[in-house]
Amino acid sequence: MGANVGKILKYIYCLAFFALAWYFLYVRNADTMYFMQDRDWWNSTSLFWDDCMRFPGGLLSWVGAYLTQFFYYPALGSSMLIGLWILTFWLAKWSFRVPDEWSFLLFIPLAALLCSDIQLGYWVYIMKDIDYIFYHPMGLFAALLFSVPFWQYFPVSEKAQQWIALAWIPLVAALLYYPLGIYALLAAVIVAVRQLTVNFKLSTLSLIVILLTLWLVPLLETAGTTLMRPDQPWTYGFHKFELDDLRDYSLEIPFYLVLITSVLFPFIKKLNTKKLILSQSVMAIVAVLMVYCLSTRDFSDYNFHAEMRMQRGVEECRWNDVLREAAMVKGPVTREMVMLRDIALINRGELCSKRYVYNNESVPPVTVSDSIHIRIADQAADLIYLNYGETVFAIRRAIERCMHYGYSYYTMRMLTECALVNGEWDNARRYLRLLGCTTFQKKWAEKMKRFVGNEKLLAESEPFRMPLKLYNEGSELVGTDDKYVELTILKKWMYSITSDPEAQEVALGCAMMMRDQKCFWSQVQQYYNINPGKYFPIHVQEAMLFGVYELKMQGINLSFVQFDQRVLDRYNAFFNRLKQYSSQGMNEKQIGSALRPEFGDTYMWDYCVLREVQTN
Amino acid sequence: MKYRILPLLLLLFAACSKHPSLPSSYTQMNDEPVIWPDYTKVTVPPNIVPLNFLVDDVDDVIAEFKIQGSSQNSGVDETKFRYGGKANKVQIDEDEWHEMLASAKGKSLSVTVYTKKDGKWSAYKPFPIYVAEEEIDPYISYRVLPPTFVGYDELSIRQRNLTNFEESIIYNNRQISKGLEGQCINCHSYQNYSTDNMMFHMRLQNPGTMIVNDGELIFVNLKNDEMISAAAYNSWHPSLPIIAFSTDHTMQSFHTREVSKVEVMESASDIIIYDIKKNSVQTVLNDSLEFELFPSWSPDGKWIYYCSAHYEYQGKYEDTEELLDKYKTLQYNLYRISFDAESMTFGEPELIYDAVAKNRSAVQPRVSQDGRYVLFAEGPWGLFHIWHTSAEIQVLDLQTGQLLDTKPINSDLPESYASFSSNDHWILFESRRDDGNYTRTYFAYFDKQGRLHKPFEVPAEDPEFFRLFLRSWSRPEFMKEPVHITPRQFYEKALTEPIKVAN
Repeated sequence: MGANVGKILKYIYCLAFFALAWYFLYVRNADTMYFMQDRDWWNSTSLFWDDCMRFPGGLLSWVGAYLTQFFYYPALGSSMLIGLWILTFWLAKWSFRVPDEWSFLLFIPLAALLCSDIQLGYWVYIMKDIDYIFYHPMGLFAALLFSVPFWQYFPVSEKAQQWIALAWIPLVAALLYYPLGIYALLAAVIVAVRQLTVNFKLSTLSLIVILLTLWLVPLLETAGTTLMRPDQPWTYGFHKFELDDLRDYSLEIPFYLVLITSVLFPFIKKLNTKKLILSQSVMAIVAVLMVYCLSTRDFSDYNFHAEMRMQRGVEECRWNDVLREAAMVKGPVTREMVMLRDIALINRGELCSKRYVYNNESVPPVTVSDSIHIRIADQAADLIYLNYGETVFAIRRAIERCMHYGYSYYTMRMLTECALVNGEWDNARRYLRLLGCTTFQKKWAEKMKRFVGNEKLLAESEPFRMPLKLYNEGSELVGTDDKYVELTILKKWMYSITSDPEAQEVALGCAMMMRDQKCFWSQVQQYYNINPGKYFPIHVQEAMLFGVYELKMQGINLSFVQFDQRVLDRYNAFFNRLKQYSSQGMNEKQIGSALRPEFGDTYMWDYCVLREVQTN
Repeated sequence: MKYRILPLLLLLFAACSKHPSLPSSYTQMNDEPVIWPDYTKVTVPPNIVPLNFLVDDVDDVIAEFKIQGSSQNSGVDETKFRYGGKANKVQIDEDEWHEMLASAKGKSLSVTVYTKKDGKWSAYKPFPIYVAEEEIDPYISYRVLPPTFVGYDELSIRQRNLTNFEESIIYNNRQISKGLEGQCINCHSYQNYSTDNMMFHMRLQNPGTMIVNDGELIFVNLKNDEMISAAAYNSWHPSLPIIAFSTDHTMQSFHTREVSKVEVMESASDIIIYDIKKNSVQTVLNDSLEFELFPSWSPDGKWIYYCSAHYEYQGKYEDTEELLDKYKTLQYNLYRISFDAESMTFGEPELIYDAVAKNRSAVQPRVSQDGRYVLFAEGPWGLFHIWHTSAEIQVLDLQTGQLLDTKPINSDLPESYASFSSNDHWILFESRRDDGNYTRTYFAYFDKQGRLHKPFEVPAEDPEFFRLFLRSWSRPEFMKEPVHITPRQFYEKALTEPIKVAN
């Protein structure tokens, strides 16, 4: 009975791990995984292959980048990654002859790899490794594969086998250091450790060989390279979470776990207890710990995930989805969410009539252990700039990102779209040519080709209509954004005088957001000039009443304005209620909260309660 | 049955052969083919590497090269001159190409292109490639960087052998860079095209100037209290251990709509010379109303050519806001100033080209070895013409005071940073004509009559390379030989404390 249970245990473990990994990868993090593949870059050109192969671990990079693409369909990517992990489990189990009842221990490094994918949070925006998701799983698989004791199958004496094993230590490292990087060294270490468990007499020799191998192989193989610092060859491929002077070791723990536990695999077979209850109790504790660690390390901040969904929504012109996402947020939002939502409103012509219906109360992005401070400039600045027609600034941010964090499908699409809006056709062709050499972006590239050289078609298409309009209507200035994306856009547009009704509404909206009375009233005048006889949008009506009666703006004649009776009523009710709460001795915060249910969707509430102009 | 395999074997042999057979039937077209890079009717030096090219939207291509004017008995087997048969690319055997060019010196090659599309072959009208008598300097060096604006994560200075496809690194900032800021490396230059005396700057991380002086490497902090900034744009004296530098405050801003994207300005600049042996600096020009820039020695060492913009601040000195408003008024003229090596003294500035009178801005002067011609870049305003769409290369004849006709080498997109080869017959410049964004290196022939010929892009082994390569090649310089100091030596020197220049 016990033996039969033991035999099916490994299948149960596999199923359990599959379910666990599926839950964390796909159910909870599909948006993050999609995002990470979108920041991946692989293409079939020989130039890309050569670029990868120049570095230790080049083959892993190439394969990792290739496989990461499959998260374009998160379910497919998740299945492939979990499949690789299950394969790794079977390989390790077979190679190290791990007893069935203890085999769940083999999932520890695999769970660590799973953890490494779901714990990143805002680091996903600033990681340099395009191949991150599959690089390490492939590396571990390769290290285990090349540490398989093939010499045991040679028809030679046991002593000869020992010597072959000893020779394999430097050989596997030397032969595979460039294709596999640090994972070739891991394979060598595993072989050496395995030898310790087989023949302790040779342990000193094994130790000397492995130490010499670890020291000399990276040193000799990178001699003469100009692609890395001299301190890097030994750890090339080990993912460090470092940015300038900052290093977050907590995020590196999974990788330490991978290295340490895989080196200990040869010892598992020594756990030869036959008491199933004992082994399964240990396995249960390991499983509980695993679930606990994954749950606590999973980066579940709502805004983080919502931002990714909104970015994708904006790029795909799914304005309703973006607004639905904006409406669903319970707490304060990030400025990027505000900007993405405003883009959706602009495209629906609702910036000045619906903007204050949504939550504008803002918080900075919540980062993992405060290790990094993320700004819009690091996130989707290029996407936002493009949608405001600021293509030069978008290109600047896209290129800066390429340089800091590598090329990606996302930045390539951004650069293509900017080139199309700018009319830089040859440049667009270059990017489309490259995107045409990818697996899943080919279709997009093919679709975009028809826009090259066809401004009329651009002006009529959904993704380009508004960016092109704002690009054409926007004024030409010279300056820089100093990483303040929102402020740069608002400041430019509140001063822009245009006679295009849609672009003018953007300018009017920006003046309202900046709370600049001079700009606001000149934009009001312009709106009136180009929309004679038309009602002002609701928020503009609110802002006009507020400007004249509350901010006491002098010299404004409102007699020409047709006010909506409901706006007038709510305006009066708002200030009556404000006075009432104030006379009751409530402080500002309390008044804000009390007014919110009834007036949270008005310009007045925004102005009075969110006291500072919040921008990033 | 066994003979059925023969055509297959022949087909396989033909496919593997580097000399494909011409199609037996084809449609004759009346036009020349459109090839990439455009090597039609260009003039090339006899020692240049093969001009590999591709044809878009075809399944197969074969190019047949014939030497014009060669007799049937020239001893060269014509069948050797057919290349292609590998999808849409024509990649030429290097040895045979050099053999071909040696035979065609002073003559031309006639190239007939055959393309296959949907199983049908077409033959295009042959185009010539002219082969000059004069060789080109065998090496160039250049900066390789993403077409970026602020960061320096990935930057290298490389050298390329023009007689083959070998490229190597002179220095790569990845050897030393940490974090996002990185290390900027720039302004590489050589004395008389030789690498025993050369230099380049390092900025931000481990800042200083790497100078190779008679083969010996020194690292200098070229900034003293009297200088505006650390030394920047430079030129070696042709025979003395002296380098002329401009020192300047640079600022960079972005357009919001212009596709030229970037505007680089100097808010102040002067010119100095640095004596390597004495480790001392001498001021040459420091008029506060003039922005003197881009010094360049004449090959006889008696003049420094430079450009200067006259600007009087309305408000406070170096008010960058004011400059941002008036950047279009910053226009540079070309000047020269005499130098007496005995007394180490300079004469008075002499205007040699009044670009401002033409509402243009002339920068980056380079004088030919015979002292007769001055090459420079001319744009609408400012100094970084690679960002100005209308920027073009100009050649001033100092004997006549007239500009030469440079239409053959300019395009509708920016051209900048030109220089002469050591024999004056080749002009090297950077251009964004490929797509307006990525800077590439071009060469043009300058004949004995002072005429410029259609330029060609630096050849790549894979003709698609520059289409796919997402980095710019900027600031190219000719060299007669490769740099002998290794990247590791530069790196190790950079870790040392730079020598401070005397005040």
